[in-house]
Amino acid sequence: MTVSPSPWRWLLGRLVLAIPVVAGVTTLTFVLIHLAPGDPIIALAGDGGSPAYYREMHAKYGLDRSVPEQFVRYVASVARGDFGYSFMFQLPVLRLLLDHVAASLVLGFAALAIGVSVGFGAGALCAISRSRVLDAAVRSAASLAYAAPVFWTGQLLILIAAAKLGWLPAGGMTSARETFTGVAWFGDVAAHLMLPALTLSLPLAALVANVSRAAVVDGLHDSYVRAMYARGLSRTRVVVRHVIPNAAVPVATLIGQHAAEIVAGAALTESLFGWPGVGYLVLHASLHRDYPLVTAAFIVISSAVVFFNGLTDAVVAWLDPRMRLT
Amino acid sequence: MTQQALRSIGRLPARALAGAMLLAAMVVVALSAASLASTDPFSVAGPALAAPGGPHPFGTDDLGRDVYAGVIHGAWSSLLVGFASATCATLIGLAVGGLAGIRGGMVDHSLMRATELAQAIPRFFLVVMVVSLFGGHLWLIIAVIALTAWPSTARIFRAQVLVTLGRDFVVAARASGSSDLGILLRHVLPITMAVVAAQVASQVGAAILAEAGLSFLGLGDPTVMSWGALLGAAHQTISEAWWIAVFPGVALTLTVLACNLLADALLRDR
Amino acid sequence: MIKGSVQPRLAVAASVWLCLSGCSSGPVPTADPITLVVSQGGDPGALNPAVTTSGNTHPVTDQIFNGLVGLSHDLSPIPELAERWAIEDDGRSYRFHLRKDVRWHDGVAFTSDDVKFSFERALLKYHSRTRAALEGLLERVDTPDPHTVVFRLKRPYGPLLQRLDVVEASIIPRHQYQGHDLLSGEPTRRPIGTGPFRFTSYSPGDRLTLERNPDYFRKGLPGVDRLVFRILPNAVTAVSALEKGDVDYIGSVPGPDVARLRKSADIAVVPSTGGSGGSACQDVLIPNLTRPPFNDVRVRRAFAHAIDRRFIAERVYFGQGQPATGPISHLLAWAYTPDVRQYPHDVAVAGGFLDAAGYRPKGNGERFAITFTHASNHQRLAQVLREQLKAVGIRLDLQTLDFNAQVEQIFVKKAFDLGLASYCNGADPDIGVRRVYVSSNIGPFPFSNGASYRNARIDALFDQGTAVADRAQRTPHYVEIQRLLAEEVPYFWLIDSEGLRAHRTAFSGFRLWTGAFVEEVRPAAASPPR
Repeated sequence: MTVSPSPWRWLLGRLVLAIPVVAGVTTLTFVLIHLAPGDPIIALAGDGGSPAYYREMHAKYGLDRSVPEQFVRYVASVARGDFGYSFMFQLPVLRLLLDHVAASLVLGFAALAIGVSVGFGAGALCAISRSRVLDAAVRSAASLAYAAPVFWTGQLLILIAAAKLGWLPAGGMTSARETFTGVAWFGDVAAHLMLPALTLSLPLAALVANVSRAAVVDGLHDSYVRAMYARGLSRTRVVVRHVIPNAAVPVATLIGQHAAEIVAGAALTESLFGWPGVGYLVLHASLHRDYPLVTAAFIVISSAVVFFNGLTDAVVAWLDPRMRLT
Repeated sequence: MTQQALRSIGRLPARALAGAMLLAAMVVVALSAASLASTDPFSVAGPALAAPGGPHPFGTDDLGRDVYAGVIHGAWSSLLVGFASATCATLIGLAVGGLAGIRGGMVDHSLMRATELAQAIPRFFLVVMVVSLFGGHLWLIIAVIALTAWPSTARIFRAQVLVTLGRDFVVAARASGSSDLGILLRHVLPITMAVVAAQVASQVGAAILAEAGLSFLGLGDPTVMSWGALLGAAHQTISEAWWIAVFPGVALTLTVLACNLLADALLRDR
Repeated sequence: MIKGSVQPRLAVAASVWLCLSGCSSGPVPTADPITLVVSQGGDPGALNPAVTTSGNTHPVTDQIFNGLVGLSHDLSPIPELAERWAIEDDGRSYRFHLRKDVRWHDGVAFTSDDVKFSFERALLKYHSRTRAALEGLLERVDTPDPHTVVFRLKRPYGPLLQRLDVVEASIIPRHQYQGHDLLSGEPTRRPIGTGPFRFTSYSPGDRLTLERNPDYFRKGLPGVDRLVFRILPNAVTAVSALEKGDVDYIGSVPGPDVARLRKSADIAVVPSTGGSGGSACQDVLIPNLTRPPFNDVRVRRAFAHAIDRRFIAERVYFGQGQPATGPISHLLAWAYTPDVRQYPHDVAVAGGFLDAAGYRPKGNGERFAITFTHASNHQRLAQVLREQLKAVGIRLDLQTLDFNAQVEQIFVKKAFDLGLASYCNGADPDIGVRRVYVSSNIGPFPFSNGASYRNARIDALFDQGTAVADRAQRTPHYVEIQRLLAEEVPYFWLIDSEGLRAHRTAFSGFRLWTGAFVEEVRPAAASPPR
């Protein structure tokens, strides 16, 4: 395993790349949300509110200032680490985001774990078994699973596993009645996690199956693998020691390339299952003109995508001795 | 150029053929929606939540609207969004990628940085935000999807341009004074046709999915029947009426599948 | 706890892997304390009821706090923090005698200072409805002693008491809030009230837990030990949780589920009977009277005849509402009259009015086109209206916006032909009806007189309606208002919405109006015979 001579420089390069992205996204979000029709105070006022009330609330939240002035003030406070208060929740934006990011991460990583293990398993099996029937079946299933939108497969899963059979909870992150602690709490969350994680993992598994199948097939025909056979190494040994680890590289690359897609799928899945993640938060915040929350959520999501891309690059470099961090 | 395209179609494997035929069938359905389902998909055509069969082959929804009419008319809006935004995105992508590739230097550098920036933006969230802020008009949805989809085409096309520029006949054409645009159109584009077509096909699928996702969240264009909107409404009645979810979902999945098969085949076969 | 909720969720990330395969061992219910679980659609956020009208905050805070008065099932004022009161000075002042046995949840005694503080610093500044009602009316709040509060008004005002319940005027603790921001300060996260339940913990997006207040001033109440609000934004999830018994109460039942829930022996589906604030709502179409075609009363009458309210009530509202007969909801029984000009669904009559107004059908059968500006949650209604109006030759173009933008388009920019709003009548016509019709409330601000209707006679009648407190003397004014308005149709009253709630029959004693609806809830077996 070779690591680039200076991982720190590489990391620095990544950060430098992330800065314009995050700055661009912040500006874009801020401008768009302030150009759009709608007034966040309407959500606060409900069906009451007098002109004086609106005037005072606009002043209290600085909404009576010009958009450039609001922007400067916003950037200055974000630079101090202050993302402000959500209009909708009247809670600190940062705390809300941390809370919802955690839920999203749980869902995302569970889906990733299922998707990668199922997909890789199926793909590798196809390549090694050389069964045409199995191969055709897996490829067709993968094509279908990749094409089907998560909000449809999720509904079908709810229909079958929750509504008809009553096996698994169809929504939320924890049981409604009981408040668990300790191990029971983890069990409860895991049960609620099953359907959304499975839903989100389907397109992932499909992607991974296709790529890993191709990679393992390539690996089996690779010249140095043939050389190993020639040296009398067993087929199992060659596959387990060399072919499969090498196939992990394109899989990791692929996941990095589809980071944004995974995040989008996660948002739809969260919305369908009432999973309290960032996707759910952003959707509601946009509809309520919750300026501070939407802007901060965008900063977090775009940073996450950049970070995730960087992470997969690092994994690829770690997996593949021929590659260097660039 | 046409010959080359025709020849590549002739060489398509079975999966590609299946994809092409499926997509063609969907286009036919979309274009002849009015005669296939004469019922207005928005009009109340029968009792609420009627099961499939009889006058309503796909059942009715919670307002008593015909789901079959919804699915057939939904094909039109889904495909319109898919093709229109994929076409726009491809044109932008070709322009950016072509310009960057053929000019090189500062132009290349700044265009590619801009492309990377655009690619890092979480697309679906941006689309959701813009549409929820400015309203779900079909043209706005198409525009936003197109404006967020071009970067991958730009990068792929730029790479193709760089490869092609080194070839003898392009060098010769340049030497004989062909303009950049001329070289792109006459020499680069024909060779990369399959790649570009694959890109278009996969973007049609992605755009259809994005529109369906928006409509599912209730952010789509309310004046147009769409598969996503049907699925969004289905969620409310999923335990009472499976048919509202199943039929539009099948149509959506098959269409996206067709696009993906086509894109795959075009890439594999270049 | 808000603070505590972050870490455990992060910790799941690590542990869920291990659990995915192994720990499927189900939940072990704890039997002892009686827990009532209420499903709620959105996060309550900051927990200060005196600064918000939010429909997500009040169902929670109204169990923690109290008002000076309560409201009975017919919305008459009954003693709460004030044990009695007297109206003096020809209706210009209200003297409240406070209970002496009330303590805040932190043990501090409740006094008249808290009332004065709540009104002057919170309610009259930030509670949008109470401020709108009282800012021009209330001269000052006097506290002659710790257990007496006197409201001095600029003019006699009959419906004041209906505005002083926990929804419209929660009393908050002065000693907690001094030196803190009322909207987002520390006390909004650990609310201290006087009510039947005490705050325990809140984890946004998940749940909020309250516990029984053993020192509650109404002895023997509340009847449950723990009250949990589950945040379930998805209505489908909420209903299935109710059916499975995971939650005990849902505040609104989605239309398609009503019939199925009614069949269940374990579930009672009950109508909401009203209450203060956001209750007794009417869904109303708002024509823009400042421009054609709706500046012509004949067009408005034609339009009213063209709408099939019964169909809308059945198919769009799933029976959760009745066709409206006029400008006041029938739920406000003492002020309501059905005996006004009616506009039954009749395409021919509608056509006749339109012909008379000069809007004859063109070659394609179309008379004119108007744009209907509405929020995305009213898409179904919009599509049905479009169908119905097509039959009389009116083309309805749909402009669907999100709720916020739609409100701005109709009420602030006033750039619309036809709009839609749900105007809640509240506990008194003066709270939610007056604002829709009086010329002094034309706006431009949300939920004002959106049609820009002006009628000096109507303005005068609304003033006369509030000069006395006695309902019998007030009713004739409101009857006349309804007759006049029905002739002029400045709005199209579609539906008197009657929301449905549902609860598990394992519990009984739910109050079916807004406010402290859980106060008297008990397990069904333990409930006293009626």
